[in-house]
Amino acid sequence: MSLASTGSELADRITREELLIGGATALFLAAVAGAVAGGLLESAFVVSSLAFAPVILLLALGLNVQWGYGGLVNFSVAGFFAVGAYSTAVLTNGSDPHGLALHPAVGLVAAMAVSAALALAIGLPTLRLRADYFAIATLGFAEIVRLIVLNEGWLTNGGLGVFGIPVLFEAGVLSGPAELLNTTPRNVGNVLIGFLAVAVVFLVLRRVQSSPWGRVLRTIRADEDVGQALGKNTYRFKLQAFVLGSVIMGVAGFYFAHYLRAITPGAFEPIQTFYVWVAVILGGSGSNRGAILGGFAVVLILRGTRLVNNPVGAIETLLNAPIDVLDRLLFSVAVDFRLSLGLDLNQDALRLLLIGLLVIAIVRLRPQGLLPPQREHIWPAALGGGGDAPEEDRE
Amino acid sequence: MSTASYGYDGGDLEKPDQVLTVENLRKEFGALIATEDVSLAAERGSITGLIGPNGAGKSTLFKLISGFYEPDAGSVTLNGTDITGWSPDRIARRGMTRTFQTPRRIEGMTVRENMLVGPQNQAGESILSTMFRPGRVTRDERANLERAADLLELFELDHLADEPATDLSGGQFKLLELARAMMVEPDVLLLDEPVAGVNPALAEDLATYIERLNRERELTIFIIEHDIDFIMELADPIVVLDQGRVLTEGSPETVRTDDRVMEAYLGGGGES
Repeated sequence: MSLASTGSELADRITREELLIGGATALFLAAVAGAVAGGLLESAFVVSSLAFAPVILLLALGLNVQWGYGGLVNFSVAGFFAVGAYSTAVLTNGSDPHGLALHPAVGLVAAMAVSAALALAIGLPTLRLRADYFAIATLGFAEIVRLIVLNEGWLTNGGLGVFGIPVLFEAGVLSGPAELLNTTPRNVGNVLIGFLAVAVVFLVLRRVQSSPWGRVLRTIRADEDVGQALGKNTYRFKLQAFVLGSVIMGVAGFYFAHYLRAITPGAFEPIQTFYVWVAVILGGSGSNRGAILGGFAVVLILRGTRLVNNPVGAIETLLNAPIDVLDRLLFSVAVDFRLSLGLDLNQDALRLLLIGLLVIAIVRLRPQGLLPPQREHIWPAALGGGGDAPEEDRE
Repeated sequence: MSTASYGYDGGDLEKPDQVLTVENLRKEFGALIATEDVSLAAERGSITGLIGPNGAGKSTLFKLISGFYEPDAGSVTLNGTDITGWSPDRIARRGMTRTFQTPRRIEGMTVRENMLVGPQNQAGESILSTMFRPGRVTRDERANLERAADLLELFELDHLADEPATDLSGGQFKLLELARAMMVEPDVLLLDEPVAGVNPALAEDLATYIERLNRERELTIFIIEHDIDFIMELADPIVVLDQGRVLTEGSPETVRTDDRVMEAYLGGGGES
């Protein structure tokens, strides 16, 4: 049997993980749809959550290039996110403090170019060093970005933030679907544009990952010496991965700025970096689909917690349900106590608690993530397939 | 540093058609002199065995030659080009690659993928080509897949092509490493303990493969090996390293009967 044919058979087979994850996703979507139809969940909330999701998905895809492919520890996700957001915000806002009001396309190019330039500036001197020094440098960069944004008021308007950032896509055609979903055309437009960006990035990355370039990066991640012994200029490959990932993070920032239309430094706290790390590790480092899946899980926690107004109360109600039943059965004679957790937990704390529990769960139960890469990455066109299997003809 | 009571001959630098020449190589780590003064040469198409007691500086010498360490003094010449101080990847592209003493497994890659890391100048190693010249990428990848299949067949690993490389036994992985190094198409191959931890039957196989590569592809090979019988069978000449210097060089017979070699191994040597 030729090597090529066994490879394509493997590619055609759906793995157990894919089946499980696919099934769970379908169930979840059905549950959401049911909740919306049954009036338990507002469709506007779902749409606005979907409009936010591309931010985390793009950041996770970007980090996956750096950490998942190449093993680069970048603690500056929030930094590049902010760079992308402020690059477009400064150029395109129509009011404070610049009023340049340039087209968002200019903003996109600027967000990508500035992210790339800064990634080069950090990567060039530090990627030759040991991995831990590089990680420290990125941590420092995120802090520098935050301080510049806070203090260079002439450029960023400081703590007040930049307002009047234009909407990306808001046309008459959107008003129909918007009305149907009980939301604004702007939200619908954002969902479309956001997921278009995710799709483009995903397709580009899938191609890049199955190329020899992706293979060299995976070699570097496993053992840089092997890559060097096999003639690969590992420094150059790491630099390219770092720049590519950072540009994608810059695009996330671009989308975020236009989605919110107003940005303040508070949106780029270091915690954002770790949300994205959780997304990538949860999904399965090195897997693009995993980054998407993990990204959605994080969005679910970030947005879903908003539905819980009184988390402690909700948990207490749940715990007390059997006691209530007992109470009713006994006609309120015997049982006159209720459990109280004695906790004060707001939504922010609940969010962190859930993220923390999630991290513990991944590390304990499934360190490789939910959907790690499922099959070998070989340039698909070279494996023949699609009728003209040249490998087999020759053998 | 102690001076041995016996004299150091140094390597034979007078060989014809030298593909690799090492002259007065030196490497210090603080007060420790790992490689004091090593000179040796390899004739094209030869198999040179590098032996010596623990701490003689064999692995350090390999790292110096292959570019993983930068020498403090001396020079390395490959095919007439001075490659002293070059990075390992540049040296590999110039025609010399190495394997490692401990198995370096690439997680999450199949045997076949491992093989595909080897080829040089693949079009698909450029992101731009993957986007704008996919046809060239496909052509290269096809050619490399075919070459990988041939080599895996040669090394009798073809039935494992789709297996994760992490599932191979120690011996099979040594074979894969050798096959992967051949994907680089080197002129000179440095093998660091190719049969360490490999069962005798597979060690014999490895010897056969190494001999065959040497014969059929005019490959020049340097081998560090602790298994004296293995290396005496395979290599000629044998270079004996001791305390960071070349003690002697010669055919297996001359080395075997040299009293100084025995003395070096038994840790006799000189008074400090």
